[in-house]
Amino acid sequence: MKSLAGALQWGKRAGLDSRALVAPLVVALGYYLANRLGFAFTLEPYPISVLWPANALLLSALLLIAPRRWWLVLAVALPAHLLAQLQNEVPLAMVLGWFASNSSEALIGAGLVRLFVPWPQRLRLDSFHNAGVLLLLACVAAPFLSSFLDAALVRLTGWGQVGYLQLVQVRFFSNVLASVVIVPLVLGLAALEPRRLREAPPERHAEAAAVLGGVILTSLAVFAMAHFDPAHAPALYYAPLPFLLWSAVRLGPSGTSVAIAAMTLITIRGAVQGEGPFAGGTPEQIARTLQIFLIAVSVPLLLLSVVLEERARAGRELRAQREQLTHLSRVAMLSDMSGGLAHELNQPLTAILSNAQAAQHLLANRNVDEAELGEILRDIIAADQRAGDVIRRLRALFRRGETAFERLDPHELVREVMTVAHGDLVTRGIETAFELEAGLPAIEGDRVQLQQVMLNLIMNAADAMASRPERLLRVLTRAEAHGVQLSFLDSGPGFSADIAEKLFEPFYTTKPQGLGLGLSISRSIVAAHGGRLWGRSNGRAGAAFHIVLPAAGRRAPDDG
Amino acid sequence: MPLVAVVDDEKPVRTALTRLLRAAGMEAEAFAGGAEFFEGVQSRRPECVVLDLHLPGMDGQQILERIRRMAEPVPVIIVTAHDTDEARARCLAAGAAAYLSKPLDDRLLLNAISAAIGKAAGGRKQILPSKETPS
Repeated sequence: MKSLAGALQWGKRAGLDSRALVAPLVVALGYYLANRLGFAFTLEPYPISVLWPANALLLSALLLIAPRRWWLVLAVALPAHLLAQLQNEVPLAMVLGWFASNSSEALIGAGLVRLFVPWPQRLRLDSFHNAGVLLLLACVAAPFLSSFLDAALVRLTGWGQVGYLQLVQVRFFSNVLASVVIVPLVLGLAALEPRRLREAPPERHAEAAAVLGGVILTSLAVFAMAHFDPAHAPALYYAPLPFLLWSAVRLGPSGTSVAIAAMTLITIRGAVQGEGPFAGGTPEQIARTLQIFLIAVSVPLLLLSVVLEERARAGRELRAQREQLTHLSRVAMLSDMSGGLAHELNQPLTAILSNAQAAQHLLANRNVDEAELGEILRDIIAADQRAGDVIRRLRALFRRGETAFERLDPHELVREVMTVAHGDLVTRGIETAFELEAGLPAIEGDRVQLQQVMLNLIMNAADAMASRPERLLRVLTRAEAHGVQLSFLDSGPGFSADIAEKLFEPFYTTKPQGLGLGLSISRSIVAAHGGRLWGRSNGRAGAAFHIVLPAAGRRAPDDG
Repeated sequence: MPLVAVVDDEKPVRTALTRLLRAAGMEAEAFAGGAEFFEGVQSRRPECVVLDLHLPGMDGQQILERIRRMAEPVPVIIVTAHDTDEARARCLAAGAAAYLSKPLDDRLLLNAISAAIGKAAGGRKQILPSKETPS
């Protein structure tokens, strides 16, 4: 313990935190295990594995940490390298040579990538640009360049028995495959957020398990089936493809890289044991077929998952922006109503204060009638509840929440909106009339967003009537063929028929202070509820705006 | 005991205000709007009106103007839950005795009522003797 504490102390003095010390240890352990795995995947008598994951692991580690600490990764990898390689009775010169070529691949790959995606930018596989840079530079260019050095070292130490260019080729394919499988896997796992994983709904976990299970089972089945039908064995290569495509479409680059890694491990293990459709031919032929097949399947799948992820993210960002805009426009509308809202709170406050002070006078004059005191208290409580109700509705409208669909009674919605709008209408001298049809079906929607639409129509109506002597807002509800119609009719000047559609365009406004977003946002809210919103001018009788919403159960809420 | 009329469209508010005025030793009568008030005035004339500004139909401003046009105008105290400088200026210009914003502090309201009644009575006293002199 003392020595560990001492090492941490030393690390701190050298400007490293404890996390920066743990990471290299993880790298050392991973590097050691990757070496052992690589040896297990070696087809005798070739000195080069079908899949050599150690270099790719080193490369992934460099991509995840700051370039000024790369030396640390290489420093801890060296003892792991020696430990793993010397067990296999490889000559020391070759062992050190391989460390040089392995390190050079990782350094070339990470260096090239960091030229295009400079540190400290995170290397997430969430854009086509990042994926392209990674696949081209880290997974192809780095193995290509370092393979010449590696083959030269093998020749120099006399370890391998094959020609120079052949060695270059064998090592190149082995390391490209390792990089394509390992680098996205490590980066994907490093980018996983445990919180998001925990919060994911159970059906997502079930889907991921089903996809991964499918990949593993089909990959295993390939070897079993090859025994029965050797003639069609090559076609069996593609058996896991449906599940891999599924992972690319639904699980993102992280899930896809896990699926690819699973298929690769099973396939290579089977081939090394001389089973399945990849068996037969010389070890070199088997290795090459396997490598080319796995690379050809992995790269397009990875790119597909990245492109889909990029598109999904753009969609999410767009939705978030739309939600933000909706919220902002709601808050702006409420701030325009502040005078009316003050009225709506001051009325019950007046009732509370005057009742309480009346009681004080009665007590001071020793003129207390118990029944009257009871009435006073009852009135105070009622007024207090009314003020609380207004504040509750307001808070809900101010809150910025996720869209939440629930079953709603259209008339309750109207009543709730009126608690908030009442003050504004009263202070503007606008009278209201309600014609609410009984027995309307329930609707399904986001309470706050639908109230926002109704408030928007009410406020527009109020603005339109500002300079009219007669100011009457009529709110009508009636059952529709498959839903409910809510109408808001004003006694304003109306509008000319040719702007009936323009009113819903963003930034179109007829108000001097208006932004022109209210109706455009309202229409998109109603559309997201599967409904329609439109306006008609009734000439001198004013304007009418109608909302039609489907009855609950008529339509599943969409997530758009 | 002076009679004070309270005009407010919201029942909880007019009930609370009449209750307060009665507890403070006045006589008070509540009206929901202008029409009701002018009908009531015919049977018994109040000495002061506590008038809400925002009323459906005939609004407070219109009621105030109509009261001021009466042969013997009753002093009017405007009360509002939506206080604006513009409304204050308009009401005072139209002859309101006071303009108070809700919620109302009892002393402020009671003082305003006494002052308005006192001033009106003083005004009447000045006028009445001159009318009565011939007799």
